[in-house]
Parts: sequence; C-alpha cells; structure tokens
Amino acid sequence: MSGETLYIIAVIAVTAGVTVLLRAFPFLLFSSGRKCPPVINYIGKVLSPAAIAMLVVYCLCSVYKDKSFSGIWGIPEAAGCITVIILHKWKGNPLLSIFAGTAVYMTITQCFF
Amino acid sequence: MDNKKILSKAFTASLPVLMGYTTMGMAAGILLSGTIQRSDIVLWAFLSSLTSISGALQFAIVDWIDNRIPLLDVALLTCFLNVRYAMYGLSLLEKFSGISFWKKCYLIWSLTDETYALETESREDDKKSTLRYCLAVAAFDHSYWVIGVTIGAVAGKFLPFSTRGIDFAMTALFLVVLTDQCKDRRNIYPAVIGVLSAVAGRIFFSTSNMLIPAMILMTAVFIIFRKKLEKLFIDAEVSK
Repeated sequence: MSGETLYIIAVIAVTAGVTVLLRAFPFLLFSSGRKCPPVINYIGKVLSPAAIAMLVVYCLCSVYKDKSFSGIWGIPEAAGCITVIILHKWKGNPLLSIFAGTAVYMTITQCFF
Repeated sequence: MDNKKILSKAFTASLPVLMGYTTMGMAAGILLSGTIQRSDIVLWAFLSSLTSISGALQFAIVDWIDNRIPLLDVALLTCFLNVRYAMYGLSLLEKFSGISFWKKCYLIWSLTDETYALETESREDDKKSTLRYCLAVAAFDHSYWVIGVTIGAVAGKFLPFSTRGIDFAMTALFLVVLTDQCKDRRNIYPAVIGVLSAVAGRIFFSTSNMLIPAMILMTAVFIIFRKKLEKLFIDAEVSK
C-alpha cells in the first residue's frame, strides 16, 4: 500500500474517531445526572460560528494561493462571495447559493485569467 | 404504533433532508474526486461519508488530503469544526436513555444537525415508538448522505468540463453556513472574533499553518473575555 493510501485511510479514521467522540461526549460524561458546567455550554455556543468564520478566511487564502495567476486583486473571489451571500439572503437555498457562487467563480477564472 | 407506520412517518419527515443531503453530498463528492486524482477515490469517498456523516468535514478533508496536513492537525481541526455536536447530546440524554447499547451507539454516531433537529422534535405515543422513530430517521438521513457523496465522487470523474476553480465550492459552503448562523444576531460577535483570529493567523503564519494558531487565539479570547461576551450574547438575545 502506498504512503498516500495509508495517509487517506488515517485521515478518514481520525476524522471519524474525533467526530464520534464529540457526539458521544455528553453521553459519556453526563449520563449519571451530572450537570454540564456552564463554561462548556458557552464555549460550545461561541466556537461554532467562530470556527466557520475562520474557515471562510482560510478557504479564501487557500483558493487564492493555489492560482498560477496573480495580481488580480481577488476579483473572482469577491464576485463568488458576493453572489453566495446575496443569493443566500434572498432565496435561502444553500445548494443554489453554492452552485451559483462556484459557477461565477469558475467562469471568471477560466474565461478571463 | 406499528413499525410500518413509524417507518413511513420517519421517511416523510426525512424528505427535506433527502433533497439537501443527496445534492450537498454530491457537491462534496465532486469536489473530492475532482481535486484528488486517484482511481480509487470513490471508495474513500464512500468510506468517509459512511463513518463521519458530517457536511462541513466532508468538504474540508479534500483540502487536508490535498495538502497532506499532519494527522494531529486533522484531529484538532475536526474537533473545532464539529464541536457543536458535543452540545446536541445534552438535550437528548433523557430521550436516549433506557435503550440497548448498540442502538444508542448508532443514534450517537449518526447525530448530524438535521437528524438532531428531527429527533428533538419527535414525540410519539410512547417511549419505545419515539426511539424507533429516531432510529429510522437517523438511518434514512445517513443513507442519503452516503448515496449523495458516493454518486458525486463517481460523477466528478466524468465531468465534461474543466474543474479548475471548483475548490471555491468549499468557500461557498462555509459562507452559506456562516450567513445562516449570523441570522441569529448572537453569533455575529463570535464570527467576527473568528475572522480576526484567522487574519491574525495568516499575517504571522503561512496559509497552510494558520489554522491552529488562529484556533488557539480565538479560544483564548473567548475564555479571557467570557464575561463581556456573555453579556453581549444576552443583550443580542433581548434585542432580537
């Protein structure tokens, strides 16, 4: 088995293991009637939007970094993001927003850059 | 209630999830097989969707595998990405009590956002029916996700046009989730802290190394300014 195959298996195992542990966390700790400490509740609430917001920034950096072209002031990225946000606020359909935003981004990068 | 009735009720309730999961799963599958050029990628797409059942994660691992990020980072990132799952169980402890071990394991394993929403709403005549209903909903939703991702991964290999730029789909997904979360005004402050932490991470580190410092920074900010942030949280709730 090649190193990359092993690596993919390891990624799948780690992500599945961590996800299942998170899901089981309250059942493992608080099943005997113990109350959840408020700080955990608080962290759980605030970390979720913060992590997603961080990933948006990260994805933009990583999308931008991978391109062979440079010095275009992030126009395709901005156009894609604006499409996603406006469509999503307007229609509220996640798939429509993702597909349209990606289509706009792909069209601009493939046609003009 | 008899089993057939419970099954059909669970299936009807899961129909919106069918639409969402198959299409979203397909998008994740296309992204995976479009980015990672391997002949056996469909198998990995299938296994990953079967074991993790997590939307954002399914998109995120594409980038992680592509950049070969260290496994410890994979574990930490998964933790941050899916920490909300740890909160869901808190409100289901009572509902899932008194069920056999393996069934309980499956209910926990399959607990996604959408399945959680359907399960917390469920109220059948008796406890046994409620649990059967939850199991059925979980199994339906789970299968939709696996089917969507696997079909997407197959389709991604035969797309008749260039997939250059398709990685933007991941940005779009996270942006959609963020837009939804910010409809609840209480989430705006944490989101802003998330953006600032990420920008700080990018300024001091390279793109591939920015996430861990950013996560440490935001956690520190949340703990240090807990009192102030909780007050903002309550104020936003009042003004909603």
